[in-house]
Amino acid sequence: MATALVALASMLRRTVDSEATPMSIVGPIALFVVTLAAGCTRDGAPDRGLRLATTTSTESSGLLAHMLPPFEREEGIEVQVVAVGTGQALELGRRGDADVVLVHARTLEDEFVAQEHGVDRRDVMWNDFVILGPPSDPAGLRGLRDAVEAFRRIRAGGHTFLSRGDDSGTHVRELEIWERAGGVPEGHDVYLEAGQGMGRCLVIADQRRAYVLADRGTFLAFRRTLELEIFVEGDAARLRNPYGMILVNPRAHPHVNADAARALLDYFTSPRGQRRIGAFRVDGRVLFHPAGGR
Amino acid sequence: MEFLWDGLVEALQLVARGDPEVLHAVYVSLACTLTAVTLASLVALPYGAWLGLYRPRYHRVQVFLLRVGMSVPTVVIGLLVFGFLSRAGPFGGADLLYSKSAIIVGEILLAFPIAGSLAHGATAGLDRRVVETALTLGASRPRALLTVLSEIRSALVAALLATFGRCITELGIAMTVGGNLLLSTRTLPSTIQHELGRGDFGKAVAPGIVLLVLAALAAAVTQWLSREARE
Repeated sequence: MATALVALASMLRRTVDSEATPMSIVGPIALFVVTLAAGCTRDGAPDRGLRLATTTSTESSGLLAHMLPPFEREEGIEVQVVAVGTGQALELGRRGDADVVLVHARTLEDEFVAQEHGVDRRDVMWNDFVILGPPSDPAGLRGLRDAVEAFRRIRAGGHTFLSRGDDSGTHVRELEIWERAGGVPEGHDVYLEAGQGMGRCLVIADQRRAYVLADRGTFLAFRRTLELEIFVEGDAARLRNPYGMILVNPRAHPHVNADAARALLDYFTSPRGQRRIGAFRVDGRVLFHPAGGR
Repeated sequence: MEFLWDGLVEALQLVARGDPEVLHAVYVSLACTLTAVTLASLVALPYGAWLGLYRPRYHRVQVFLLRVGMSVPTVVIGLLVFGFLSRAGPFGGADLLYSKSAIIVGEILLAFPIAGSLAHGATAGLDRRVVETALTLGASRPRALLTVLSEIRSALVAALLATFGRCITELGIAMTVGGNLLLSTRTLPSTIQHELGRGDFGKAVAPGIVLLVLAALAAAVTQWLSREARE
């Protein structure tokens, strides 16, 4: 039953994402009825599905496709991945619509745990952000290592900057850097807020010749179609991007699949899981560095 | 239920308070849609009526093309406009991508076949003797066309409103070539999409309410006109 509802919800979400037409609703509902019927014949067998709410970067980079199959095979647990922005992933956890979350926005994560929506937050891995811009580099960022200084120069020169503007982990980080650089630039012609996913934002920044903060993985995946170049990287204080995994608090949401969620957390933080994260490559490059039990 | 109710209450408060982001989305939606519908209709309505009344050579092919144009999904229109306006595309130098102008270009392409097709539908069944009478009375051809258009004006206004409704609710073009930029190219439908993606249900409902009100207004005008025409 729950599986059927989840399937319907995710199909409907996809339908809503594209433009809904009456016909496109029929498919999911038919599927819902079929799944429901199939579920009834199992005599209410316990539902072992595990719902992981996570950010788009872990799904679109292919990391989850690399990590999850061995876990699913060995534990006999089916993992349903809901890939959204960090803000919405935590919101799903807060409403009890997910069993475990894998996100990257430390301040939001700590708040999530402090409000007792989640328990047992652990560092899983990290990747890094880069500051990209048009090849002409009007703000003169080339060679800088300090992200805050880079933002300061963009702001001082009135250069165009594209913000995710969607409460994602990347957006939260961007705002933290702006805060240190003296605040978000004023004027909606120089500070553009797209409110879209990372890939879409890279295309917009490229077309509008704007600077943009991006995670390295998405940039690598899009690099071939873009003119954007990396100008600032390697600022360990500002550009490192740690991912945390948090169990949704079973006391707040008794229906969560707590055992399966714990098993997934143990798997990701075990020496074997950590090695597997480090072994993941895109175009021969490491995208996610294991946290190493820190 | 509480979740839905809270969302509705928050949305009504946003609308009542005149939230600047919602107001700006109303402005972008109305400005783009009204411009696109006006520009497209100026050509599409006379063209459709001409097809219906005079049945020129190959009119069947032209009507067919209009109907095909009516069912092209907005994301495909967006894709096409993106290809032309992108820096790598033929009109890249115009620097139009991710601006209101880009949305207008897309919506013109969306509006043209709808307005043309509906004007054709309104005139195709018309008694050709109206035209012939006008012509024998010494009217020039454009003049005769104008006479007929004024005869069926309520059908044409209905066509305009239908075109307006389609354009103001579209999402594909606004997202693909508008870019959903806050206080710049964010329309009512793209606000809904955006706020839902952020998990803010109330802020997603507010533009939905505005769209419903606009749709109701358009429907009311259409109904009033059709009653007017019958009496």
